[in-house]
Parts: sequence; C-alpha cells; structure tokens
Amino acid sequence: MHPFSPMTVPALRGISFEVKNGEVLALVGANGAGKSTLLRILTTLLVPSRGRAEVCGFDVAKEPAKVRLQIGYHTGADACFYARLTGRENLHLFAGLNNLKQSETAQRIDELAGPFGLGPSLDRQVRTLSTGNIHRLGLARAMLHRPSVLLLDEPTRSLDPLAAAEFRRFLHDHIIGEHGAAVLFASHTLSEVEQLAGRIAVIDGGRLLGCDTLAGLRSFSGGGTLEQTLEILTHSAPRESQ
Amino acid sequence: MDLDRLRSTLRKLGLLFRRDFAVARSYKAAFLLEMFQALFGSASFYFLSRFVDSPTLKKSLPQGTDYFSFVLVGIAFFDYLSVALYTFDGSLSEARQNGTLENLLVTQTSLPVILAGSSLYPFVLMSLRTLIYLGWGVILFGFPLAGANWLGAILILGASILAFAGLGILSASYLLVFKRGNPVNWAILGVSSVVGGMMYPVSVLPRWMQFFARLTPVTYSLQGMRAAILGHATLHELLPSLAGLLVFAAVLLPISFLIFSWAVRRTKVTGTLTHF
Repeated sequence: MHPFSPMTVPALRGISFEVKNGEVLALVGANGAGKSTLLRILTTLLVPSRGRAEVCGFDVAKEPAKVRLQIGYHTGADACFYARLTGRENLHLFAGLNNLKQSETAQRIDELAGPFGLGPSLDRQVRTLSTGNIHRLGLARAMLHRPSVLLLDEPTRSLDPLAAAEFRRFLHDHIIGEHGAAVLFASHTLSEVEQLAGRIAVIDGGRLLGCDTLAGLRSFSGGGTLEQTLEILTHSAPRESQ
Repeated sequence: MDLDRLRSTLRKLGLLFRRDFAVARSYKAAFLLEMFQALFGSASFYFLSRFVDSPTLKKSLPQGTDYFSFVLVGIAFFDYLSVALYTFDGSLSEARQNGTLENLLVTQTSLPVILAGSSLYPFVLMSLRTLIYLGWGVILFGFPLAGANWLGAILILGASILAFAGLGILSASYLLVFKRGNPVNWAILGVSSVVGGMMYPVSVLPRWMQFFARLTPVTYSLQGMRAAILGHATLHELLPSLAGLLVFAAVLLPISFLIFSWAVRRTKVTGTLTHF
C-alpha cells in the first residue's frame, strides 16, 4: 500500500467479544483471517480506523499507555531480543522500559527463573540459546510487570513438536490459572487450542464466525472435531465479492 | 513534565545507552580499530595540508590558522551531522531487523524516548572519536589546542546537536512512512558538504552558494567550532553562531516532532509501523 493511498481494505469487521479475568481465549482462523491484526490492536501497535477495543476498561486508541501497562505480549518470532546481550540484561532493559525499578526487576527475575526454567539461560548471550529457551525468556519478559492480560501470537510457531509440547505444558502449568491473567492467544495448532483454551473465537476474512467453548461450537455447527467445526463454520460463512 | 516523569525518562535514556554500550563492548576488535581509523584520518589530512599549503591559502583561512587545523575541525565536527541524520532512522531499522521493535513499542516508553535514548550512544561515541581525532592531531601533527575556548565549544556542540537532531527526526519520519531510500539524508548531507565549509571556507564559494550556506546549520556549527577552538573566540563573539544554531533548533525540532507524530499515527493505522 502506498503511504498516502486511501485505506480501503478493512482487516476486521463486526468483531465483538469479551474475555474475563483468568479466562483463556484462542483465536483460530486461516492465514490472513485477522488474528494478528486483532492482537496488534489490543497491544496498541495498530490503531483501529473504526470501532472500539478496551483492555481492562482502557480504550486502546485513547489511552494506549494505560493499556500497555495492563498487557504482556509475546510472539512466536525467533528474533525478539538483543542477541549479544545476556538473557538477564535483556530482561533488565525491558523491565526498566516498563517502569520497574532495578531492585524490583532483580527480585522478579529470581521469582520467574525457577518456574520458567531460565536458570543458566539468564547469564548467557541470547544468540547462544535454543529457540525453546528464547521463547521461555520471551514469556518471562511478557510477565515481568505482572500484566492482567497476556497476548500471545502463535507462541509455538517456530518450535519443533517436542519443544512446542513442552512449551504448552509450561503455559498450562505456570501461566494459566496460576497468575490469574486473562490470556488471548492466536494459533494454527488445533491440539494446542483444545488443550489450553476455555473458549475459542473463530475468525475468517476479518469476521467473527463464532465464539464459544469447544462443546458449544461443536453443537452450533454440528461438527464432530474442532477441525470439522472450523471447516463447517468457514465454508458456511457468507463471502464478500472482491 | 513532573519531576517523577523526568526522572523516569532519564533512567530510560540511561538504560538504552547502557544497552548500546553493552552491545558495542561485545565487539571488542571494532572498538579498538576505531582509534586507529582516527589516526589514519588525521595523518591523511596532515599530509594533504602540507601538499596544498601556500601563503595564499593561509591568507584566505579564517583566524589565520593552518589548513590542517582548519580541515581537521571541519571533518571531525561535520560527522556530527551524519550521526544525527543516521542515528534515528538507524535505530529504527535495527530494531525492525533484530525483531525488538514491537517489544519496545509495547512497553511503557514512548517511541520518541526510545529514539532519543538510542541516539545517545552514537553521539557519545562520535564525541570520543572526535577527541581521538584531535588527540592524534595534537600528539603527532602539532594541532594547536592552547587558548581554546572549551566552554564555547561545548555550547556550540550542544546547539549543533539540537539543530541536527531536528533533521534526523525528519529523516526517521521519512523512513517510517516510505521504508527505505532516504533522499532527506542524501540532500542534506550533499548540500551541507558542498556549502557548509567542511574542507574550505564558505568565503571561497560564489555569492549565490553563500546564500545556501546561510540556510544550512552545519555552516554555523563549523564556524562557531573553529572560532572557539582555533580562534580563541569569547562567548560574546560566539553568539552569532550560537544564535543561528538555536534558531534552526527552535524551528526544526517542533516541526520534526509534529511530522514524526503524524508518521507514527499513520503507520499505526495502515499497519506498516514495523514493516521493512
């Protein structure tokens, strides 16, 4: 898109849902469905041209700083740290930029190091860490300032199946429930969605096709599995002419 | 801005400076080679000045200095303009490339503070490099430091950085919106290197070019710096250069902040903020 051209492609339309404290909601849909756009609006990285989104009662467009105070954000991208700094140096930097004092940060890193299995990774340069450890570090960064809402964009995208399974166990055991934060995550891995999510939002072409528990979606669509449910929902959705 | 917010901003600037210092320190060889690069630069200008030295040239130089001193100050301080022009968009590009931009932007730190903090290390490094340039000049080639007005030089340097930063922020705004290729930098550096008086006095230019020299902040910066270091000018004598630079800063900084805010808003709406 040319920087000065009019914006004629709406990425999201008619999406409305709410996520409560401690709830885990998965965003599911094909590539380009609008999952990442939705998450990026909630992180204030994107400003919606119309409509309204709130995080903990703060409007993302009008009070972005207050929204950022409430959220922790982690993507499945491989590169998201300063590779030549150690894990600890990276965490101190991002914690400082989130207004945590140095002593408070040191204490918080100690608190997270055990359950997050960060131990030896903390004092090694990030470029020497495995992808799995970088993701644990990324999740620790997102949790440093005790956010009320955790936003995860395809968190296991670049992990091998075993590391992804371990990461899911870790999310389930140490993040969900234990910290009481609301979690929104986008994923293409249906087993991950089934394992972690309390409710599932199905998005296609920027529209919300359904948002319910897996059982609710199944009974609404008549599908037997999540995969069948998604197929039925997306194929029965009305298409807009291009 | 209340005191707590100011303290928090300064702390964040310090954190970003420490980040860049720690990254630079991890490349030890490059750090050492910087010193020798400055030596080679000083030596080249010294031998060039011996080659072109003549009574006619000496007469046309301001403050009756020799060509080596004139050009060493010109080259060393012209580089501040390059740093200002490249540091803001350089830090944006680097954050995009190493994948940290999104993570920086979701913190409690605004993009202007992130950019300002990321520009600190390059400016400090530039000052260190300038000192090394001048140091080699003094030790090996007789660069005259006695009688220099250091306070005046520091004031001129501070005002120059403010004026140049406005241009740098404009350049970063261009990069945000158009993503690559930066004619802003190209035009400013090109025009400034021809008319700014880096290698020769502005007085040797045709009259119409001297008009453009007056519209370029680097002209005031180099004139003031040479007057302070080589001409031993008093603070009162430095006022015209200082005032010129502050006028540039007063005009360029607010305009560049407005344009930058527009560029950030625009790219957040189009979804291209973190795109290459």
